[in-house]
Amino acid sequence: MSENSINVVNVSKKFRLYHEKRTSIFEALSGNINQKSYYETLQVLKNISFNVKKGETFGIVGRNGSGKSTLLRILSKIYHPDTGTIETTGSVVPLLALGLGFHPDLTAITNIYQSSILLGISKKEIVEKTDDIIKFAELEKFADTKLKNFSSGMAMRLAFACAVQVDPAVLLLDEVVAVGDMNFQKKCKLVMKDFKKRGKSIVLVSHNPVNIIELCDRAMFLKEGSIEIIGKPTEVIDSYKNYMQLPKE
Amino acid sequence: MTTIREEMWKFRGILFNFAMTDLRIRYKNSVLGVAWSVLEPLLMLAVLFFVFSTMFKNEIEHFPIYLLSGIITYNFFKNSTSIALESLSNRSALITQIYFPRSIPAISSVMTASIMLIVELAVLGCFMVYFQFTPSITILYLIPIYILAFVFVLGIALGLSVLNVKYRDVQFIWGIILHAGFFLTPIFYEFGMLPEYVQNILQLSPIVQIVEMVHHVGIYGTLPSIISVLYSVGSIFTILVIGYLIFRKYQARIVEEL
Repeated sequence: MSENSINVVNVSKKFRLYHEKRTSIFEALSGNINQKSYYETLQVLKNISFNVKKGETFGIVGRNGSGKSTLLRILSKIYHPDTGTIETTGSVVPLLALGLGFHPDLTAITNIYQSSILLGISKKEIVEKTDDIIKFAELEKFADTKLKNFSSGMAMRLAFACAVQVDPAVLLLDEVVAVGDMNFQKKCKLVMKDFKKRGKSIVLVSHNPVNIIELCDRAMFLKEGSIEIIGKPTEVIDSYKNYMQLPKE
Repeated sequence: MTTIREEMWKFRGILFNFAMTDLRIRYKNSVLGVAWSVLEPLLMLAVLFFVFSTMFKNEIEHFPIYLLSGIITYNFFKNSTSIALESLSNRSALITQIYFPRSIPAISSVMTASIMLIVELAVLGCFMVYFQFTPSITILYLIPIYILAFVFVLGIALGLSVLNVKYRDVQFIWGIILHAGFFLTPIFYEFGMLPEYVQNILQLSPIVQIVEMVHHVGIYGTLPSIISVLYSVGSIFTILVIGYLIFRKYQARIVEEL
């Protein structure tokens, strides 16, 4: 138990799929009068149980809508599961998208502060790291420029530089690696490998079989909200490719 | 209770960050910047002073100070609740990406408004000096009164922040309430000028009670009656509990509604 950094037991999650969303009080009242159901429930996750060991990189694959992102959000406490329990040891930081907390009207430096505070880095650390971040993002000339005047590539570099400063026990990554050019992706992989070397756990959601095989120790294939298989990355990817009817390598 | 406190301590960075960003973004692209937080109530004061000292004459003593203290107190109520109203719905991008206690946006909104209140109170101080008005020692009671006001707006802020996600018409209803409240609160008239049956109804409003208490201790140097103090404390804590219960009912699933 103590060697696991994440323990997930029997987690299920339903969402309400509104046909016509009622967002006004009047609509809510009139809806109560004629009692017609205006939403259906969508079972996104069914009885998910798995664990992630300390220092392990755990991959999750699955089609769009198979519940991968929902699972990550549950792991990071953004969503409450309907049933089941989740135990995590140490700090968990989700990177579900780049540029967390960025605001177009703030300068690069202020955005670094913003983003880092949200990612749980203390003010003291940020002040020390600001120069490194700017340098890593290759934005020395633009430190005091407002974000809205950045090109999208610059904004992305800044966002990534901020994100890699986090130092949690568990890192949750959602497709972050899938964006950016080749060079950027290479940087991402280096950061992840370095993270792994320091004995941290990573949960990685990816559509790219190569990434899963290259980076992960174990993987899980989610099929319509249930676990199809957990095991070695190669086995999992084979099963995934079979299901998606992709050619095997 | 300890867990709430621990969580708040853990997320204090985010709490202060939200409060400061709210302030900063509020005055983005404005030439005068933070000066607007002072100018806004002053311009309001100028208009009301002009109308009620020329067109509708009244005999309120120290009228400019009476007016400004009312405006400032009501502004605190207005600012904190209207910032809190949108605090969750405006942060949808953030809330779906990272976890923090859902109460933080509402609390930080009240903090933002508190900072604005302190600045405005400093202006009121300057006014008192300029008009050579010496307040009596009772003015120190402003501190507990504003703490009470803080509790009051916090309860409303918590409730409004989740309700506005659930039902978007809350913002329109609240806008009307704020507008009506300004006229139904003794800011540019004295409470005693109203007919008695109106007084009986309006004194149920906690914000009327608070503004009256501010006038009592700040301008007249008298203490509010014990009944009105007890009523205010009772009603305000009831509102805090109601606001918290509404918040607690919706908070866990509020992300899915965004």
